[in-house]
Amino acid sequence: MGKTTKERVLGALRGEKEGIAAISVCQYATYELMEKTGAYWPEAHYEAEPMAKLAAGGATVIGLGAVRVPYCQTVEAEIYGAKIKDGGKTHIPSIAEHPYKIGDEPEIPEDFVNKGRIPAVLEAIRILKRDVGDKAVVMGSIVGPFSVAANLVGISALLKASLKKPDSIVPYIEAATETAIQYAEAVIEAGADALVIEDMMASLDMISPRTYRALAAPYEQRVIAALGKRIPVIVHICGKLDQVMLDIAATGADAISVESAVDIPAARKKFDEAGVKTPIIGAVHPIKALLEGTPEDVAAAVRKSAEDGAALISPDCAVAPNTPLKQLIAMVEATEQL
Amino acid sequence: MADVLGKLKGAILEFDEDAALEAAKEAVAEGVDPVKAIGALAEGLNELGEAFEKMEVFLPEIMLASDAFKAALEILEPELKKTHKEGEKAIPVVIGTIQGDVHQVGKDMVATFLTTAGFDVHDLGVDVAPSRFLEEAKKIDAKIIAVAALMSTTRPVQKDLIDFLEAKGVRDNYIVLVGGGVVTQEWADEIKADGYGQDAIATVEIAKKLLHVA
Ligand code: B12
Ligand SMILES: [Zn+2]
Repeated sequence: MGKTTKERVLGALRGEKEGIAAISVCQYATYELMEKTGAYWPEAHYEAEPMAKLAAGGATVIGLGAVRVPYCQTVEAEIYGAKIKDGGKTHIPSIAEHPYKIGDEPEIPEDFVNKGRIPAVLEAIRILKRDVGDKAVVMGSIVGPFSVAANLVGISALLKASLKKPDSIVPYIEAATETAIQYAEAVIEAGADALVIEDMMASLDMISPRTYRALAAPYEQRVIAALGKRIPVIVHICGKLDQVMLDIAATGADAISVESAVDIPAARKKFDEAGVKTPIIGAVHPIKALLEGTPEDVAAAVRKSAEDGAALISPDCAVAPNTPLKQLIAMVEATEQL
Repeated sequence: MADVLGKLKGAILEFDEDAALEAAKEAVAEGVDPVKAIGALAEGLNELGEAFEKMEVFLPEIMLASDAFKAALEILEPELKKTHKEGEKAIPVVIGTIQGDVHQVGKDMVATFLTTAGFDVHDLGVDVAPSRFLEEAKKIDAKIIAVAALMSTTRPVQKDLIDFLEAKGVRDNYIVLVGGGVVTQEWADEIKADGYGQDAIATVEIAKKLLHVA
């Protein structure tokens, strides 16, 4: 292929046909990767050194064309006052208590990017740039405003309000947009090559296309616009998305990362008809192919994604931490053979 | 009476809790058969459930409709107890999300649909230990234990539950149903669960099938 993996990833994110490569848009740390890198959860969630060391294994051990931090989606909510339940060695941190009840006025924490685990994430980005920046794209990952709002008031409350009293949740989404822009700016300043916006709750598994258009897309768009194309932005949304693929593209995302629940050929066709060039990234199933399948199942999923029109290969979503390393390596190898 | 039944069903289809409460009170005041009233509510929820599968309605609608259903049920249940004779006792089910897992939404949906289908559902909530499932199952003399797991890291705990029942020598006393995002029919077979529910409607069907009712 000529080009290095890193060049291919950056090329694909710019919409150029530089060749395909394998990345993992969402978290890819596994127990075996922890053994190999000597960096473990829970420390890797909180401290820059182990955080970077474990992430670097994505490039040095697995051979991914991009590395990323952090591993969970609770960084922003913690700074807003959510109580975090540590996941110990085996799980990722999760939210134990939401900081707000709908009706409370959300308060934007001052000096957001110097709080909580953000300094560790930013330092990890600097270390990754130094240690593996020559061979892999370094990505910082933030949570989309709609999903941060879900973490602030609880997903059930948010979803119910999204239908009957959408105005009541707008202040949380607005606040989360504000802090997402600050966080993304800091990620760029730390030297990241690309930004991932994980908006896992903005899925059609959770909300209607109408709600996506009203309460998720405009805020994703605002974050992306504020960054002014300085680095490519990948929007990742979980689950079903067929009816909103054009809307996601319209946020200005440089690439869209989807799960295998999405009909990629149909989306590509719609994009072509609308003159939309946004690359689509996907879609190797983390359970059926990576966790429970054989290396051959993984290779088949890679080939199918490429045939479907994916510009880069990635697991659908977060990799399960008990996934065998050989499965992830099989994903990289199958991609290199395309 | 047809009018009240229509109102009950309509309230669910409109996922309107206030309207559901009002219609339930009206049903009680008019002396409507509570079985029929609950049936009307269930019809509404089932219609919504089918529309959900076709992606015509979405999760928030289902959640609000479930709230409306539960609110109306609370009004109607005392009536049901007054009129119901022994022998028609609803089949007790214990449901919960397995230890280590706090995903609640899908399990709640299954619990609601089992309730609409006439089961006596005892919901233990989320993060439920195997021993707690058994404790409750014994207490209410459950026929079914239904267990959700949404993550690859908590799915193995479903197997722990089955092993636990086995170890206590009570495995055969219960029908164990498993479900949730990461659960597949293969997994259910592997851990020797009695049934797998792909979604809420399928779970009701498999529960009835395994009990040989309907
Ligand atoms: C909402 C959600 C959350 C919410 C849950 C809120 C709540 N109170 O329930 C919150 C934000 C708290 C959350 C937290 C986490 N989550 Co989460 N979450 C989801 C999400 C987006 C949707 C789940 C959902 O509600 N779906 C809608 C319902 C209707 O579907 P369902 O649950 O599948 O239920 C249906 C069927 O499965 C079946 N069913 C369900 N239960 C049962 C039970 C029985 C007995 C039967 C027969 C059938 C059955 O019927 C239902 C109706 O059709 C999924 C992704 C997804 N799209 O599924 C991730 C997902 C499940 N979460 C995931 C993860 C990793 C986490 C966290 C670790 C992340 C974090 N660091 O915060 C924590 C874990 C916390 C913990 N210890 O459990 C991963 C799991 C990955 C894996 N395969 O292991 C998923 C798949 C996302 C992903 N792709 O990475 N999550
Ligand atoms: Zn996802």
